[in-house]
Amino acid sequence: MVSTTVVGSYPRIGDAPEEQALRRAIAKFDEGVLTEKELRKIERSVVREVIQEQRAAGIALPTDGQVTWYDSQSHFARHLSGVEVDGLVRYFDTNTYYRQPVVGGPVRWREPSVADEWRYASSVAEGPLKAVVTGPYTLASLAKADGRPKPELVGEFADAIAKEVRALRGAGANRIQVDEPAITRNPQDVALLSPSLETIASEKGKAWLCLFTFFGDVAGILDDLTALPVDNLGLDLVQGDRTWKALAGQGSRVPLTLGVIDARNTRRDDPGRIAKAAVALKGKVPLGESYVSPSNGLEFLPRGKAREKLRLVADTAKLLEAGL
Amino acid sequence: MSLLTTSVGSFPKPGYLTKARAQHSRDEIPDEALRALEEQATKEWIAFQEDLGIDILVDGEQYRGDMATYFAENLEGCEVSGLVRSYGNRYYKKPVVTGELRREGPITVDWWRWAQGLTTRPLKGMLTGPYTMMDWSFNEHYASREDLALAFAKVLHQEAKDLEAAGARVIQIDEPALSTRTDELDLVVKALGAVTRGLSAKTITHTCYGDYDRVFPYFNKLPVDQIDLEMSNSGLDLLDRFRRDPLKKEIAFGVIDVHTHVVETEPQVRERIERALEFFAPDKLYVDPDCGLKTRTVEEAKEKLRVMVNATRAVREARGLR
Repeated sequence: MVSTTVVGSYPRIGDAPEEQALRRAIAKFDEGVLTEKELRKIERSVVREVIQEQRAAGIALPTDGQVTWYDSQSHFARHLSGVEVDGLVRYFDTNTYYRQPVVGGPVRWREPSVADEWRYASSVAEGPLKAVVTGPYTLASLAKADGRPKPELVGEFADAIAKEVRALRGAGANRIQVDEPAITRNPQDVALLSPSLETIASEKGKAWLCLFTFFGDVAGILDDLTALPVDNLGLDLVQGDRTWKALAGQGSRVPLTLGVIDARNTRRDDPGRIAKAAVALKGKVPLGESYVSPSNGLEFLPRGKAREKLRLVADTAKLLEAGL
Repeated sequence: MSLLTTSVGSFPKPGYLTKARAQHSRDEIPDEALRALEEQATKEWIAFQEDLGIDILVDGEQYRGDMATYFAENLEGCEVSGLVRSYGNRYYKKPVVTGELRREGPITVDWWRWAQGLTTRPLKGMLTGPYTMMDWSFNEHYASREDLALAFAKVLHQEAKDLEAAGARVIQIDEPALSTRTDELDLVVKALGAVTRGLSAKTITHTCYGDYDRVFPYFNKLPVDQIDLEMSNSGLDLLDRFRRDPLKKEIAFGVIDVHTHVVETEPQVRERIERALEFFAPDKLYVDPDCGLKTRTVEEAKEKLRVMVNATRAVREARGLR
């Protein structure tokens, strides 16, 4: 049966005053008038809220919305040895910024980055909850690491992320997603994904493992990606719409997460048109075991629009299921 | 004249104006009350720049919020979105293009004319560029990014012509998104050209914070007279690229890092100007901060500008420049 999921991030504030509790709390924490314990309590209430919003909209496999993440790079770098966090750098072609990790020595896992957060989120999720980690190739690509050979650096980040996956397994996570947006920008590096995914897969136990690429197409490396040791492959089919054609030609042996709802624009997507395009992949892709999702994390949209996009994901999945 | 000093555009808003803007957003004070305070703050910044001896002034954008949504609020076919995250705990609103873009009338001209009336020195007309407006907007109407960029270019061209007709001798068209997608640099050139076409005023484009490796060969293709660049935040490391790809235009060279609270010392800034003079002729080299100063406090911004002007004077004197 076609299911529904999200890619990861979700707007942590909305426009209504009651949806801005976390923004106010962080400002107060920065001013020193709110304790860390009080801030964490508010963060957790927002985690609960965003999981409930996803479920209410019909998302079968939500995430914690990455509510506690400063950004997708420094959130991991802060918990690793050999890496410092530096100034702001533009995140791909978005108008958002991340604090750039700077590699100063061997990269080693020191403590959990997301496992503890996942444990809490799962306790209030009332159903399955996907854990998300940033992939080693993207961490290495967006870090500043003068003079370090890329394969060696990816390998060190892979060891660290594999340990995070082990920690997630220990916390009970059985659905884990690895995000590798950077590979859409440098598809010629696809060979670096294989050893790093093998390292991560060796720690996943029986957990379902998904690799998600976004912010571009992977048409030229689709065969390489479907050969990786993963249970599901997530694809951005909006900004990476050229991948549609590759899928129609080559198909995929692994089930997919079809990132078909535009998570970077407020324009209303057409579930009927999208479902029809997806139905055309019947026989080429195990659609019955696949998911429908937004094209990337939803935090690039205002919260009201993000909610609307969740409903469009659910509508598209229903139409796709009906068409099979 | 050599080593003329200027600013990129925005200055911080004084506390009384920040408070008034918040009150206005809650309908607690009327438009006229806000306008009076915006004018007061603009007067203060114009007077400060004149007293300091800055050569080409800006109005400090005391009446603008975000540089893109300011134009969205004043264009037909454009709305303003809900809040989206920029980074950390910072959020902003984005333009949403919902129909064909049209200008109901001049957007910036009245403010420019009023502020220029406060000084005899040239005051820049300030526009947000068509590529940046496109890249920072949600597009619910136009078929492609190019169509939207060119639609913004059309209305911004009308605005630039009106600024010029009002007397603006210098018009700056900011393109901070220029380096976002390097496969679209030809579109940047095309859209910017559609804005500057037929203008006789001096035209400038400002850009900042990006991977300039692929952008460099395009600097000479940009259809403006002057490129305004952030240089100090990146430790002047762009300078070596100019050795390989010499700039054939004027440059406004950022000598003040706008993202640190620390105020530069005069010797630091003098050294940056001296480094710049190794690459650019003094009459083609303008001195300014890296970017708009609105993220600094009023006092920090004033101190940074003071150091910039003093350092520039010292270099002029040491080299016997006029």
